[in-house]
Amino acid sequence: MPTMLRLGAMAPFLSFLAPLGVLAAGVDKTHGVPPNMVSRYVPVKSSSSETWKCLDGSKEILWSSVNDDYCDCSDGSDEPGTGACPNSTFYCRNEGHIGSIIPSSRVNDGLCEAECCDGSDELPGVCPNVCKEAGEIYRKTQEEERKIRKKGSKIRSSYIAFAHKEKKRLEGVIETSTQEIAVREKEVARLRDIVERSESLSAAALEHKKTSPLYESLIMHSNALKSLQQEHKKHLEREKALGDILDALRRGYNPNYQDMAVLEAVRGWESLAGLPHINDVGKDEEGSHEEAAIKTEVEGEEELEEDMWTAEELEKDLDNLLKTDYVSLLLEHEKHVNSPVTDSILLDLSSYLPDTLVPQYEAFRDTLVSWLQTLGIIHGAPQSAGEDSKMRQTLNDAEHSLRLAKDEKKRAEDDLNDLFDPKGYGAEGEWKKLDKTCLEKDTGDYTYEVCLFDEAKQKPNKGGQTFSLGKFHSWNPDSQPGDPAYYVKQVYRGGTKCWNGPNRSVVLILSCGTDNVIHTVAEPEKCEYHLTGTTPALCLPLDTPEGNKDEL
Amino acid sequence: MVRPIVLLFLLCVPSSFAVKTSDFKTCAQAGFCRRGRALASRAQDNASWKSPYSVDSSSISVAPDQALFTAGVKSSLYPDIKFSLDVRIHDDGVVRVRMDEVDGLRKRYDEAASWALIAEPKLSREITWTVGNKDVRAIYGAKKENEVVVNLEPLRISLLRNGKEQVVLNGRGLLHMEHFRTKEIPRPEDTPEEGLDEDDVQVVMQVKPTAWFEGETEDGYWEESFGSNTDSKPKGPESHSLDITFPNHGHVYGIPQHATRLDLPTTTGENATYSDPYRLWNSDVFEYLASSPMSLYGSIPVMHAHSAESTVAIFNAVASETWIDVDHPTTKSSSTHWISESGILDVFLMPGPNPDEIFKQYTRLTGTPALPAHWALGHHQCRWNYISSDDIRSVQKRFDEHDMPVDVFWLDIEYAEEHKYFIWDKKTFPDPVDMTRDVEALGRKMVVIIDPHLKRTANYPVYKEASDLGVLVKSKSGDAEYEGWCWSGSSAWIDFFNPGAWEWWKGLFKTTSQGDKWSWVESTENTYIWNDMNEPSVFNGPEISMPRDNIHYGGWEHRDIHNINGMLLPNLTSQALVARSDPPKRPFVLTRSFYAGSQRFGAMWTGDNLGTWDHMAVGIYMVLANGIAGMTFGGSDIGGFFGNPEPEMLVRWYQVGAFNPFFRAHAHLDTKRREPYLLDEPYRGMLRDILRLRYTMLPIWYTAFHDASIYGIPILRPVHESIHFLMMPHYVVFPRDEAGFSLDDQYFIGGSGLLVKPIVHKDVTEIDVYIAEDQVYYNYFSHVAYRGSAKGKHVTVPAALHEIPLLIRGGSILPTRERPRRSSPLMKRDPFTLRVALDKTGYAKGQLYLDDGETFSHLEGNIVWREFVAEKTVKKAKTIKITSSDLVSKNLDTAVDGVSLTKYDPLNAFARSVESVRVEKIVVLGLSSKPVSVKVEGGEELVYEFTPGVAAEGKKEGQASVLVIKDPGVSITKDWAIVIQA
Repeated sequence: MPTMLRLGAMAPFLSFLAPLGVLAAGVDKTHGVPPNMVSRYVPVKSSSSETWKCLDGSKEILWSSVNDDYCDCSDGSDEPGTGACPNSTFYCRNEGHIGSIIPSSRVNDGLCEAECCDGSDELPGVCPNVCKEAGEIYRKTQEEERKIRKKGSKIRSSYIAFAHKEKKRLEGVIETSTQEIAVREKEVARLRDIVERSESLSAAALEHKKTSPLYESLIMHSNALKSLQQEHKKHLEREKALGDILDALRRGYNPNYQDMAVLEAVRGWESLAGLPHINDVGKDEEGSHEEAAIKTEVEGEEELEEDMWTAEELEKDLDNLLKTDYVSLLLEHEKHVNSPVTDSILLDLSSYLPDTLVPQYEAFRDTLVSWLQTLGIIHGAPQSAGEDSKMRQTLNDAEHSLRLAKDEKKRAEDDLNDLFDPKGYGAEGEWKKLDKTCLEKDTGDYTYEVCLFDEAKQKPNKGGQTFSLGKFHSWNPDSQPGDPAYYVKQVYRGGTKCWNGPNRSVVLILSCGTDNVIHTVAEPEKCEYHLTGTTPALCLPLDTPEGNKDEL
Repeated sequence: MVRPIVLLFLLCVPSSFAVKTSDFKTCAQAGFCRRGRALASRAQDNASWKSPYSVDSSSISVAPDQALFTAGVKSSLYPDIKFSLDVRIHDDGVVRVRMDEVDGLRKRYDEAASWALIAEPKLSREITWTVGNKDVRAIYGAKKENEVVVNLEPLRISLLRNGKEQVVLNGRGLLHMEHFRTKEIPRPEDTPEEGLDEDDVQVVMQVKPTAWFEGETEDGYWEESFGSNTDSKPKGPESHSLDITFPNHGHVYGIPQHATRLDLPTTTGENATYSDPYRLWNSDVFEYLASSPMSLYGSIPVMHAHSAESTVAIFNAVASETWIDVDHPTTKSSSTHWISESGILDVFLMPGPNPDEIFKQYTRLTGTPALPAHWALGHHQCRWNYISSDDIRSVQKRFDEHDMPVDVFWLDIEYAEEHKYFIWDKKTFPDPVDMTRDVEALGRKMVVIIDPHLKRTANYPVYKEASDLGVLVKSKSGDAEYEGWCWSGSSAWIDFFNPGAWEWWKGLFKTTSQGDKWSWVESTENTYIWNDMNEPSVFNGPEISMPRDNIHYGGWEHRDIHNINGMLLPNLTSQALVARSDPPKRPFVLTRSFYAGSQRFGAMWTGDNLGTWDHMAVGIYMVLANGIAGMTFGGSDIGGFFGNPEPEMLVRWYQVGAFNPFFRAHAHLDTKRREPYLLDEPYRGMLRDILRLRYTMLPIWYTAFHDASIYGIPILRPVHESIHFLMMPHYVVFPRDEAGFSLDDQYFIGGSGLLVKPIVHKDVTEIDVYIAEDQVYYNYFSHVAYRGSAKGKHVTVPAALHEIPLLIRGGSILPTRERPRRSSPLMKRDPFTLRVALDKTGYAKGQLYLDDGETFSHLEGNIVWREFVAEKTVKKAKTIKITSSDLVSKNLDTAVDGVSLTKYDPLNAFARSVESVRVEKIVVLGLSSKPVSVKVEGGEELVYEFTPGVAAEGKKEGQASVLVIKDPGVSITKDWAIVIQA
């Protein structure tokens, strides 16, 4: 029974209640019901009463209980037009504009919702119907957006064209390298055949040679050096990190705190690193002073014994040294020991002979060599080992070239796959053009740079360290590849670690625009950067389904 | 906010989450505390100990027809030094005892009480002192139950009730007031002669006649050092010591703020919990411990002593550093020892005899908690820092998208350019007024931080004006402004003791241009204020605060006023907020530092807590302890200021917060964002439910705040039985139930009858709740009925993560508003639901207070204050009638804070504005049978649903019967009756 009907008959002292029912009495049963649901809001008539079933079927209520500003149904379906149920929604028709749905918490709360330009979410008279104006503004913005989209999508199609051109280029590369591979494979097969033949003879000998104390010691040295290098690198990294921490302390500590422990730490670091005391440094020239200071200090320290490697050599040449082919070296060595005088051209000759002559030459050489040995001109023994090694080198070189060719092909194939991969440069390849394109935003203290699909950086404008904010990691992880929402977010991860914090990272939020620009930079959490920007790559053509979304 | 990134950097070995205790003094590191404790231990070791202080009987002077007498006091140690004693009895029975040095070398600081008290208390005119040879006595009280006895030699003051001693001053003879003296420069003949070794000198010194009491050496009398700071102490020793004994009370509570249990653990005696005394010295303690007697941000020297027979309390109005030892010589008694660095002795004894009377007596002295704006009870969202105006806008948007209610967005220090408070950093907040307007558009407010330290730079108008006005704190020389280090770098501090600062400070908050004076035109009337760092926190100062020898207005040293320094800022700021608008609006100021009386100026929070279960738990005890000391509008940072709480902890912490008076989520700069919408399901849904639950209960909270804001005036007339606590610990509700005296993990919300036990542990699925009476209690959510017992009983209540152990005490009627809204002002026109929880006799009552929630028009009677009663029409009848009646006209004197209304117009402007607001639903729990008829008296049948179940009467437990009355359509502002005929 509807509350209000009852009230008319009430005792006089209760007549004040009349206004309480304005809402209930004035609300149409389909108020707030979306068009596709209106057909469900009809009473079931029987002789005695009109009833209605909650949409979830949980309860049958009086038809008069629908939209009476009291929540009867657990699913909230009996109050589509009031705020009585916490879990229901309200549909605003917004004639002259576009209909929309709001949560029941916004119905009859005294505020005119922007989503309900017809004012139907509030009691009559509270909110004016502004759908005409809202519609106009909406259409205007839509038009402006359309214009941007139109212009942007043209640029985008040029990106797609670029991708197709790129595709052609890559296909060309693949074809060329396929041919090259075929040639090189033959070559490798031939060389391998030769090497295997000769090496099968000497494998046992080689094993024996490897037991040479010199070789074993060499390998041990090499391993030790490798470990040392690794350890050294680790320490360098630690030293760098420690230096960064101490530098931050030195620049950031507050001398007025009078904390002697801190002061001592700063002084100690300054003396160790050859820095002037921070308080004595004029703020402006701070940087240059220090660099100069570091240099003099570093030079002063370097007192090397003769033949010892400089730090520079260690850094540059140690890797190469460690890459030495020790087996070849062993064989070289043997050769060297066995032929102290001449470096016989004879034994090396095979490298200079045309491939077709090699077998004949080898036969000839073997004869020649045994003859020479007999004469004592050259020493006997495993001369062929050196020869094997040379052959091996030739084979290695050939294999290397083959690998290069294969790599090039693989790269081209991968690029080609990525090119139109929804997880890569987009289904139409529209992002390829922007690969490694760097966008910058100057925020005063820092310039933020994102090289798309590559790396993001924070570069201080007034001197200091540039930090990596991370390498490209993925598109929007909360969305599916191919989805438009997938391409509005790029994630860069694994940047320089923050002191006492995480590794720096970036989320780049993009939208359609005619330029590739970063608009805003924010750090909502320590060392997590949020950047927004625009790109034409997101300007879908106006005639795609996504282009015509007309919902609020 | 706070403690610094910088200090974090300096002090913190990563992941070491704890205070650097060596930054703060122990008793042994403070000269006067060391002396005070040494005095106590000498007394303990000396069986014939006798206080050297006595009243000079010839000097006793009784004021004509006033309950006041004065007398001279002498110390046998220093016969030439004169002291005065002043004992008076207020018209409500509170006894005030003051002692000062007379005609001394200098003057002791005697203004602490003037900052704490709301007005000069009225003296009783109905009491006469009887002066005898050995004592001075006065008997008073309605039944002559109270007696004050001042014994003359030795001086001993006691308050008795029905012949039983309630509180005794100097009963242990520890009273000592160090007189001012001149520093003795050692004369040549004092230097040891050759041949005498040091031991001989010691022997010489032992003949000092005062040594039995004061000790042999002048321990820390003059200059003292702590860390790298030296206190010049130009006035020398001036501390005082006083023992306060409660011979018949086995429990003491109060003296906030400490991170400890409500029932104060002992600091001396056998098996003492702590080794140091409780310390009161307002301090910015970085990562404070979850159980410690160390001082924290605020100090209220108020202590309740409680037993099943009675409650009594004392308020020691001292502003200098104070240490308090607590001991229970027996389980039925308590003895305390108060040691303060400077100032006069000024102690108030509140006779009780129960917690509610104590609260009345205390709030008549220092004022009731101000009735806050209604929105201030909503959900506050804070973070150090929302980094831009767009950040604020986007946080607001996300809350709305998830339909989670929130009323206030907060800005911590990073909004201010170079931490020059008031001055927006235009790089990130280019449009502060537009931002505020965007927040206002949804009925919401902004709270922005304003700290008391000013960056010392001429381009900062606030600093420049303060400097020009000469209202900055001075360094020990007394002429130059003090420079310390804080957020803004080199900083100066406003001296609010200087009256010259007051009008100027108020002018700063004007939102319109004030000519050549600076004012905050880039704020709106919906910009409210957070005052932080007001202990004051000084990064490079001793114990992270100001040097004690700094000079304030009137020449007082910082040591004299330190503990009241913090309360002046919110005092002036709240006045400024009232003054900025016309008609004035209620202010909102959150303060970190506070003192007795701070409740008049706004809310407090428990400072920079940690995201740990321990801190979640201790936060509740701390808010309870603050509450019994008057500072009721409090809460702790939800989630913990430091750390990244896991979802389970965050859900529990919101449950705690929703049942704290002040409900704010806050987080440190280094933490991950943790706004409730960021969590995954099911946690996000749980948080939304908790937020919505808080909002449905705003009528209950607002009514409780109203109750707490009212004085019991005039005290002798019968008044509405108001409840003065927002969070009522058990000993307050059941003062005779011994088993509840140490309970601090469950409490009642005001007088509503809601009993909550927030879960503060991991992996809990159910919990025991203590019920202290033979009464039915209902689970708020499931309506399961539990039965307590007169002897006390534990019942097991479900407490899975989505559940809050929340019971309704049988006999209560709770008004709620059940429609979710985005912010509390948007609930203004929403209908009410009444939950009627019948007690075992079939009776229930409750109340509802409403006003416009933001102006002062309630003081003119623009209010609605209703009482709801459900009772049987005739004894033993089955028919129950629920009525709504006006409470204002019956309680004109106590309807609003501080004003007696002369009449009440039920059709006042506010009442008219809400007369269309109705009761949409009534839920009755515990009816014994299905009604045959439910109707508005004089009206037609109402629609209802009845679910059979356990009745309130009887002994059964289990699902209670539930009657839901649909939309009775009655107005919330009017008288009505609904008859349930069974």
